[in-house]
Order: sequence, then structure tokens, then C-alpha cells
Amino acid sequence: MRVLSTVKFTALRMLRSYIVLLLLLVVPIILLTVFSFILSGAVPESGVPYINETSMTQVLVFQLFGGSIVMSLIYNDLFTENKIRMYALPFNQTMYAFSIMMCGALFSTLLGALLMVYSQFVLGVMWQNWLWMIYIISLMAVLSIIVCLIFTFSVKNFKIAERLSEVYGIGFVVLAGLFFPMPENGFFDFLGSYGNPLTLSMGAIRDMGESNIGDAWFQANILLGAIIILFVVMLILGRRKIG
Amino acid sequence: MTIFKFALKRSFSNTTNIIFLTLFPIACIFLPNGEEWPFLPYGYQYFGLLILFVGIRLATIILEDREKGVVKRLAVAPISHFQYLSQNLLAYSIILILQCIIVVYGGVLLGKELYQPGWLFILYGSFSFASLAIALAWISIYRNKDASFLVYMSLIFIIVVLGGLLIPIEIFPDLLKRVAVIFPTYWLAEGLKWIVFSEEILDFLLINGVLWLYTIVFVIVGSIRKIN
Amino acid sequence: MMIASMQGVVKRYGSQLVLDYIDLDIQEGEIIGLLGPNGAGKTTLIQTLTGITAFERGKVELFGQTENPFSNQNKEKIGLVTQEITVFEELTAKENLQFFAGVYGLKGEEKKKRVAEALEFVGLADKGGKMPTKFSGGMKRRLNIACALTHRPKLLIMDEPTVGIDPQSRNYILEAVKKLRDSGTTILYTTHYMEEVQSIATRVVIMDQGQIIKEGTVNELIQTVQHEEKVKMDVTDPESVPIHSLEKIAGVKKVIVSGSQITVISAVHSGNLDRIISIVKEYAGVLGIQADKPNLEDVFLTLTGKHLRDKGGE
Repeated sequence: MRVLSTVKFTALRMLRSYIVLLLLLVVPIILLTVFSFILSGAVPESGVPYINETSMTQVLVFQLFGGSIVMSLIYNDLFTENKIRMYALPFNQTMYAFSIMMCGALFSTLLGALLMVYSQFVLGVMWQNWLWMIYIISLMAVLSIIVCLIFTFSVKNFKIAERLSEVYGIGFVVLAGLFFPMPENGFFDFLGSYGNPLTLSMGAIRDMGESNIGDAWFQANILLGAIIILFVVMLILGRRKIG
Repeated sequence: MTIFKFALKRSFSNTTNIIFLTLFPIACIFLPNGEEWPFLPYGYQYFGLLILFVGIRLATIILEDREKGVVKRLAVAPISHFQYLSQNLLAYSIILILQCIIVVYGGVLLGKELYQPGWLFILYGSFSFASLAIALAWISIYRNKDASFLVYMSLIFIIVVLGGLLIPIEIFPDLLKRVAVIFPTYWLAEGLKWIVFSEEILDFLLINGVLWLYTIVFVIVGSIRKIN
Repeated sequence: MMIASMQGVVKRYGSQLVLDYIDLDIQEGEIIGLLGPNGAGKTTLIQTLTGITAFERGKVELFGQTENPFSNQNKEKIGLVTQEITVFEELTAKENLQFFAGVYGLKGEEKKKRVAEALEFVGLADKGGKMPTKFSGGMKRRLNIACALTHRPKLLIMDEPTVGIDPQSRNYILEAVKKLRDSGTTILYTTHYMEEVQSIATRVVIMDQGQIIKEGTVNELIQTVQHEEKVKMDVTDPESVPIHSLEKIAGVKKVIVSGSQITVISAVHSGNLDRIISIVKEYAGVLGIQADKPNLEDVFLTLTGKHLRDKGGE
């Protein structure tokens, strides 16, 4: 498949995007380090050090922004003047877009895994279930990518799509109550729990750590369900745009 | 004052700026109070973060001029670099001060507990000027508007955490407490504490003095780069 | 053998007719120079020919196929040099070529060889490891061309490949196009520069407002406007020269005075040059004389008009 030959170059382009690496790797590393200094040794009643919870939150928060590189590459290759050359090439442009999505998901998951490695081996954070954590990170990455692409395909102006993707990320961080407490009513309670990918993923990891396997899978499956539904939406919108 | 007039117009020319400059400050007024910390309502604790964002968004208008080559055209026009810069900065300062007025006096009108709104306004004003100056210095080392904004955003997150604006500095280890002093956000956080606990006026003058020192130093640094 | 053919192709953007029953045949081995003002429809023609843009009516045939002309099999035989620079800024020059070579199905040693050849061909052999962001405009244009050459296309379409670059780079590109022509590649070349078309094209097609208004060899086209000759004279005092006397000379069609220059347009083979000069010399000092024969620019301006038309992108 001709598209497979492009994967290496997509990966190179992602790895060379120094601003993305700064925002999704360097900044979290600095913040994790700062928090580990601040919270070092502090343990609540549950017995799980504060730094564990904070590290998990941070790793997941930055996954909310993992879709930005994918939306940027797909927009650049298939919607700007570059599309003229890309559509003249003897390969399936839709498959090419999918290949960028997959690369992006792997890239974002890899960055999350690197943060886990750093926090465990440098800062001493103990991750209980690596496989589960990687699975949840990858779900978050894929969801972020799909949401970002939905924005890209739905609005004419790419800058607006970028702003919307930021609203998605920052919005759910705020709705999770990480900056300030949300009002207590049904709407905000939902958006702070089952309607929020961040809280769902945090809950799934926490529950798996506490051996509440059923609850953990339930929350992970809500994420998976959202991914499937939004994937279909993205396909419908994308078909119209990419053809 | 053509540059001034158009700087004001351009500041409100795109939707994101309008949201940052109007809705977000108003939203700050309505955020809830903290329990043990922060001492002021959340919106007033985080307003400093917004000021930093607004500062860079406004300053990147100058960077856009440099990126597109408009400054070259201005360089051969009968207007000095000083006039160009000062008129732009005047426009942005007015916008920031207006925001501070809305946030502080809006809060007073809505009955928020702000302790000493007058001093709070002065503190925010000093921080606004410092924020603009830092943004000006920042854009002087960049050519690309988007890259400059994104990297600055990363920096904002870090200095906001390290300065004690997002987490109380009291729980920081000693080393980080000492390091925090170099960040303007530390001085804002200290100023906010002063507003609540009403200590010596000299402390407040020191806080504002340090913020003005940041302003002067970074304005000088940021004014050096002209055309390229 | 016919490489490509468009028959009665119609394309609209909304209510605007961009291609108006286009008929165009491209024979193997020829270089077609496609000329037209901005907004004539040249880029849209290229895009419909390559299947990038759909069209409402008509037929396109590529490499003998009408059923599915835009198949990947046919696309493998086409190379497209876009008007804009469409290379990946995050990949080095060599990586860019490797990307496109891979998409065209090249692998292993063959791919390495073709990439090296393409870089050599466009004069970037020593710049393969550099990012396009570090390139000058001319170098970027050359890389843009190289990306369309790694797979040795049968049909190379070049959409204004020399726009905005220095004369040295432009010359290099034209020489490269001539080499490609000599190696048997069929080329469709659009440009605003008449001298490029005159230098390389075996056939010229002139487009305007979505229609092909004239086609033929350069000489054939010049013949169509070779019904006039122009004599330009720089004189000391043009106002003292009686224009009506010049207009009365046999064969003179028009006399134009512009500043210190008098232009006399006559029918071809009028043989009235000495009469014109003698009248002018009688009344003013002649500083210089230029006798113009029609060229492709005259053909172009005669057919498409001399007025600027501010249409948007094609």
C-alpha cells in the first residue's frame, strides 16, 4: 500500500514539531517536577501519595490536547494549496488521512508513556497498572484526535477549529473542577463526571487501582462508546470534505 | 495618533481577542469564592493569568507587523520607532486598565468581598504594565507570531504555578520559595495577600515597585529590536 | 500517440463558467505552452485534466482510458508541478523526494537512485540534507519540480514553475525542461512569460475566459497577427511632425504619438518605411528607429486584449 510508505515521514514531521513537543512533553515534565517538589512526601488518609494523583491528572490533561498535531497536518496536506499535489498522487487520500490519525494517536500515547516513565523513574511516582494506564491514555488520544478533526471538517476557518479544540481541552479541565469548584447542579455534575473524558479516564484508572474492575471498565467503555459515535460523525463530515 | 487609533481597532478585530478582552474578564467576576485558599474569589486570583494572556495577544500585533514587513514601510514613513512603539503600548495599556476597572468595580457592584478594591485596582494596573512589557520583550526575540504565542503560553503556565498564583506558596519547599521571587506572578500573589491582610503600606509599595521595575527593564529590552 | 485529451469539458464554480467546452489534445513528446491572463482557467484546466477537480460535462481521456481516466495507474504516469510551492517544510529536500518516490511505488535501491537523480537534475544534489525553510525562492521552486520527477512521468504538467524567481534559477529550470523534452517526456507548461513559451514550446494554446481561443505553433500564431508591422521612432519634437501626412502614406493603418515616440502601424509588406522616415526627418530630428515584427506577446495581446482583468485565482 502506497500510504504505508508515507507513515515514516508523517512520524518524522510529528517528531520535528518542536512546539508540540514543548507543549505536550517539556511543559508537563516541568510541571510534574515542580509538583513533585511541592508535594514530596505528602500523603493523605487514603495512603496514596498526593503526587500519584497529581501525576495521573497531568498526564491525562495533556492528552486532551493531543489532537492538535493531527488536525494541523491533515489541514495542511489536504485543505491548503498542498492538496492540489496530494490529490494528484496515486494513493487514496482518505487512507492517507487515517494514517496521519493513527500516527498521531501513537505519538500522543508515546508522549504520555514518556511522562509516565519520567514520573516513575525520576520522581518516584508509582504507577499501579501500566497496561491499563496506556490503554486509557490511548483512548484519550484517539478521542482528542477525532474531536479536533470534527472541528476541522465542520468549520470553514481553520483558526476557529484550532480555538474550538483549545476550548475542548481547557473546557473539560475547568469542568472537572481542577481550577475552581463547579456549581452543584445536575448539568455541571454530569459534565464533571460521566460527561467529561478527563474525569472518566481518571475514574477508570483510580478504580482499576482500587480493584474496582467493573467500574473501571464501565468508565473506559463510555470513552470507547464516545469514540465510536464521534468516529462515525467524523467520517460523515470528512467524506464531504476529503471525498 | 494614527498608530494608537489603529492599534485599538486591530486589538478588537478578531473574535478570539474580543472574547479574551470582553467575556473572560466579565467571567472572572462570577467565579466562586475559595474555602481556605485563595483568599479572594477565584476569578480575582486567576485574573493575573488572564492579564498575561491578554498582554501577549496584544503584543503579537506588533510581531505581526514585523512578520508581514509593515514595519519596513513605517520605517520610511515620517514616524519614529519610539512613536510607533509608544502609541501601540498606550493603546494596549488602556485596554488592560479598562479590563481591570471592569473586573474590580464590577465585583464591587456585585457585592464581591474584595477588601480594598482601590488598592486591588492599582495592583492589577501595575501587573498589567509588567505583563505588557514582558510580552513586548518576548516578541522581540521571535519572528513567527504563532510560535511566539504558543511558547509563551507554556511559560505562562510554569510561572503561574511557580509564582504561587495557582498553588499557595506557603506549601512550597524553601528552595522553590526562594526561586519564586524572580517571577512577576509571585509579586502579584503577594500583592493579593496584602490586599486581604492589610499589612504595612511600605510592603505594598515594594510589591508595586518591583512590578514597575519589571516593566521598565522589559520595555527597554523589548524596544531594542526594530525592523527585522 | 495521444497521451491526453479533453473533449467538450465544462466546469462551473457556482454561476461562473470557468471552463467553456474545452477541447484539447496532447500528443506524446510535445511541449504545449498554455498561455492566458489571470483568471483564464489554466489552473482549473490542469486540475480537471488530472482529476483533482470534477467537471460537469465532457470527457477526459488519459493514456487511452476514458472509463476510469483518473485511476492510480494513470496517476503514476503523471507528474504535477504546482503553481504554489507544495513541499513539506518539516522534511529535508531528500526526504521530500523520498516521500513522493515512495508514493509512486519506488522502493529500495531504485528509489535511492531516482531521488539522487532528481536532486542532481534540479541542481540541489548538495542540498539534500537541508530543510526547505532554509532555501531561497529559486531553490524551493527547483525542489517543487524535483518532487514531480522521481517517478519519471510520461506526462509532466508544470503550472507556472518559474514565477517569482531570479533569472539564473529560471534559466536553469528552462534548460531542465528542454532536457526532459529531449528525453521524450510530454509536457504541459503554463506561464505568463512569452519568451519561455517561445523558447521551449512545440505548440502554443492560448486561453481566455475559460475558452481556448487559438492554438498552433509559435510561427502559425504569429502569422495570424502578421498583418501589421510597427515602426517606433524617437524624435526631438514630435508635435512638429504632421500626423495626417503620415496617416496618408499607403499601407499606414494607425499613427500613435506617445511622449517623444511616434509609432506607425502599417500593413505587412507595405514597403513604406523609407517614406515614413523621410516625412519625419523633414520636421524633426530622428533619435532612434525600431522596427518591430509581431511576436507571441503581440499575438497574446491581440487575442486577449490589453486591459487588466482583476479576476481572482483560477
